[in-house]
Amino acid sequence: MIRVVIVDDELPARELLREFLAADEDCEIVAECANGFEAVKAVAQHDPDLLLLDIQMPKLDGFEVLELLDRSPIVVFVTAHDEHALRAFEVHALDYLLKPLSQERFQQVMERVKRAAGHERQPVAGLATSLRAKPLQRIVVRGEDGAIQVVPVSRLDYIEAADDAIRIATSGNKLRKQQPISEIAAQLDPDRFVRIHRAYVVNLERIEKIELYAKDSRVAILRDGTRLPVSRSGYQRLKELL
Amino acid sequence: MATTRTALSRATLALYGMAAVTLAATASSAFFLWARHASPGMAVAAALPPSLVLGAIALASRFLCNALPLRSAARSSIAIGHAGSAAAASGLWVLTWKSWVPALNAQIATQHLDPDYSLLFALGVMLYVAAVAVHYLVLEIEALREAEDEVLRYRVLAREAELRAFKAQVDPHFLFNSLNAVASMCGSRPLEAREMAQRLADFFRLILRLGALERITLAEEIDLVRRYLAIEKVRFGDRLTTHIDVDEGAAACMVPPLLLQPLVENAVRHGVASMVEGGTIDIKATLEDHMLRIVVDNPADPDRTDARGEGIGIENARGRLSAVSEGRAMLQAAEAEGQFRVVIELPR
Repeated sequence: MIRVVIVDDELPARELLREFLAADEDCEIVAECANGFEAVKAVAQHDPDLLLLDIQMPKLDGFEVLELLDRSPIVVFVTAHDEHALRAFEVHALDYLLKPLSQERFQQVMERVKRAAGHERQPVAGLATSLRAKPLQRIVVRGEDGAIQVVPVSRLDYIEAADDAIRIATSGNKLRKQQPISEIAAQLDPDRFVRIHRAYVVNLERIEKIELYAKDSRVAILRDGTRLPVSRSGYQRLKELL
Repeated sequence: MATTRTALSRATLALYGMAAVTLAATASSAFFLWARHASPGMAVAAALPPSLVLGAIALASRFLCNALPLRSAARSSIAIGHAGSAAAASGLWVLTWKSWVPALNAQIATQHLDPDYSLLFALGVMLYVAAVAVHYLVLEIEALREAEDEVLRYRVLAREAELRAFKAQVDPHFLFNSLNAVASMCGSRPLEAREMAQRLADFFRLILRLGALERITLAEEIDLVRRYLAIEKVRFGDRLTTHIDVDEGAAACMVPPLLLQPLVENAVRHGVASMVEGGTIDIKATLEDHMLRIVVDNPADPDRTDARGEGIGIENARGRLSAVSEGRAMLQAAEAEGQFRVVIELPR
């Protein structure tokens, strides 16, 4: 039995998927979600085999949902936007359905799903992160309690490395996310965010001044008074931008 | 390019003008002297310096002409202004004669010049008035040319805006998603599916019909918007509510077709669709003191991605509006505390 979660913010679109799935006796719908938050929760709760996922949704889009999943169901995108098609395959989505949906195409995809269901799968989450639209416009974080936070990059003060994770500083708060700092640094807009140190990426707009701290070492002082170390190569990068 | 060209021709025109007035003044006054038995050489030598002064004054009278435009200044102030300055200019010209002629007489013993100063004063006034007439003529021609340029510019802008608006009009994703909704209803609610297909066809037909017109009433535009929102309502369900309030005077106002529709489409696509719970699109149109005012309000997630598309839509609407109103209309878009608001003001 293939256990399916349907995610789409439009009711008629969910209804159509439900109707198609009803014709397939090997499938069972375990949850229907109208937005990304519900989708992340439903996947954690039901551990489905298949996620039928819309891309354009409020708050969390389909790619952001993938990034927040801690399971790896088979993912099939369902969308009216074919400009996402390439990215969908890059995040190891199994397939891609275009609206308006064709039943014939839907059945073909379900055949593929059934063949893939027994096999080991690449986790989608990590890949989704690296293939998100660039430059990154917002960062999604899932807290220990499962609560999801969406941080637009304009609200970001700085990011610091913490072992193999990062801490994201936004107006006094620090959010922890399991992601290497080099990866997020590569996704941020290079004109607005600078890697000033091996362990720090800073929002240029937040820098108040740069002070010489000792010979060859500098500190960046942010508007809120935070002091961050600036390495020699970090200082070079800063100078190029300022 | 255009301004350089105008500036160049203006400077050249001014020089020609000054030369013409100097030449005319020299020739005519020298003729008077010759008639009073001065040798031709002496007559010209006597006439040239005061004529140069008159030429310069006639040139400067351009500023007075600028300050007293024919179209807007009162007839009386134009008459008084130029009569006064004609008298002053001619007075100065006669004064130059009066100081120059004795000096010339003292230098040259063989001839004695005795000009008729009242005749010279009359001549000065005439030449000054002629110069003013030429200035006004030039100003009029310039104004005409500028007006023509302006009309042409607005026509080009209007055409460009129309093209852009048409491209922006038919958002294919709106069509794809709506067709998906039709497909969805076919199984369980075939009557509604049929109705939705009809609505879609009516909407696109209306867009084609209205788009071909130059101006339509706001009532017609609002009808188009209502049809659009009715289709979106099928997709978004309870997440989309609308409130439309158009007063009678506003409904009768003429507007460019498809002005509001793309803005309302923005309000759905980037506004209500960005909210998990959805929200209300509020459209209000009033007519007060010959000013049509349309306000579109909608909630929008401040953290939504891809705000680029909205900017283009608003720029298109602004361009179209300014093209059809020749710059007199205004469109403002502002976002605060999760509410997006577009205000249009169009003089009737």
